[in-house]
Amino acid sequence: MTGLYELVWRVLHALLCLHRTLTSWLRVRFGTWNWIWRRCCRAASAAVLAPLGFTLRKPPAVGRNRRHHRHPRAGPAPAAAHRRLRWRADGRSLEKLPVHMGLVITEEEQEPSFSDIASLVVWCMAVGISYISVYDHQVLNCQSSVKVLSPEDGKADIVRAAQDFCQLVAQQQKKSTDLDVDMLDSLLSSNGFPDPDLVLKFGPVDSTLGFLPWHIRLTEIISLPSHLNISYEDFFSALRQYAACEQRLGK
Amino acid sequence: MSWVKEGELSFWERFCANIIKAGPMPKHIAFIMDGNRRYAKKCQVERQEGHSQGFNKLAETLRWCLNLGILEVTVYAFSIENFKRSKSEVDGLMDLAREKFSRLMEEHDVSESLLDKCLYTNHSPHPDILIRTSGEVRLSDFLLWQTSHSCLVFQPVLWPEYTFWNLCEAILQFQMNHSMLQKARDVYAEERKRQQLERDQAAVTEQLLQEGLPASGDPQLRRTRLHKLSARREERVQGFLQALELKRADWLAHLGTAST
Repeated sequence: MTGLYELVWRVLHALLCLHRTLTSWLRVRFGTWNWIWRRCCRAASAAVLAPLGFTLRKPPAVGRNRRHHRHPRAGPAPAAAHRRLRWRADGRSLEKLPVHMGLVITEEEQEPSFSDIASLVVWCMAVGISYISVYDHQVLNCQSSVKVLSPEDGKADIVRAAQDFCQLVAQQQKKSTDLDVDMLDSLLSSNGFPDPDLVLKFGPVDSTLGFLPWHIRLTEIISLPSHLNISYEDFFSALRQYAACEQRLGK
Repeated sequence: MSWVKEGELSFWERFCANIIKAGPMPKHIAFIMDGNRRYAKKCQVERQEGHSQGFNKLAETLRWCLNLGILEVTVYAFSIENFKRSKSEVDGLMDLAREKFSRLMEEHDVSESLLDKCLYTNHSPHPDILIRTSGEVRLSDFLLWQTSHSCLVFQPVLWPEYTFWNLCEAILQFQMNHSMLQKARDVYAEERKRQQLERDQAAVTEQLLQEGLPASGDPQLRRTRLHKLSARREERVQGFLQALELKRADWLAHLGTAST
């Protein structure tokens, strides 16, 4: 009997993996067509799963304005200026914008697409987001001039801050009772940087993979399937979702 | 625990449970039980009723976890959120500073694994899954350190309406992520070990130089020194942790007597 259950489990997982691979492959290859495909898939899955009582997570509202799709990158100068103005207007149209946005890449099959990440950073800047952090859990020691974070900036930084504080106490510059939340904040290398309001997480892994654990206590985490060939519409729909969310904070 | 709901799974629930159990199962699940107030509003009842239903749901969910063989559950009762980070989270670090001052430890003995052991969750493994209901997609200051590599599952259902199928869905998601997360955790642990070894090597080099010995001389000597360095550190750390354990036991006992 156990063999049978195991077989069913394997089939179920194979189907789920197939669905995921197919969706991400299609997404990379066929922009608009994929949007239609995804809607069909969701409808089909909902039809199948609903009787069983499963509920699907609501995807971030995918940009409906698909007319301004892929090709803008090689556009002429007047079009570029028009786009920048549009992005700025988009930013102002939202109820709230994150002050600090984190971009967490969990995809590991291929090298991260620097051009797509660069697009995301540019859109963030254009829309009016002041602080941007890019995180790759596989990059263990960053030497670039752009602020890219790694696990070093997470728990390891907390450990270093703890060591520094111990040193200060040993040197009698501080008392152990001086340690509170603000003190630890000041000892971390993120001192001066606001906590991320929003993290856009790309890829199939449902985890932050060590991204700034201390700083993300109130961060909204919005997941997108992939950063490869990411469109401005997908990016902006995540911002719309952020703007609409209500942080009740226990009231 | 008499308030944990009695009862076994239905036929279909048992059937699905058996299928899911064919795959990797989480050993520790954390729940952020969010949505009681919205449920009350939706059903047009008192907020208290929402919380009461939420409590019933917790009892039921614990029963499901037991049926599924999940023996450790951590929950965040989400009724009042402290907007500021709670002071108790940094208490572990305070103890560290105090002990360092009384020379039980060197400051370089402070490591990630030591901090792990100082948090109040030190007797539990990190949660395999963190589930948050009601559709909110944030952590709200819950187990931030412990869930850095956990599978995060955000479900739109309100907590009082949580079903066995929602739990299965969450576990399925965990299973889909399992090997990717395991790999990420292993890579992370390897890197931590490598960095510790690097630091230890540098310390041994400095030691040898101070004694007037060649830095890259006898490899056997280096190995012995390395081993001694980490063994001594282990001793200091164990001593500190034992002192911490005693202090905690004392504090808990004191709490117990204070309330009578």
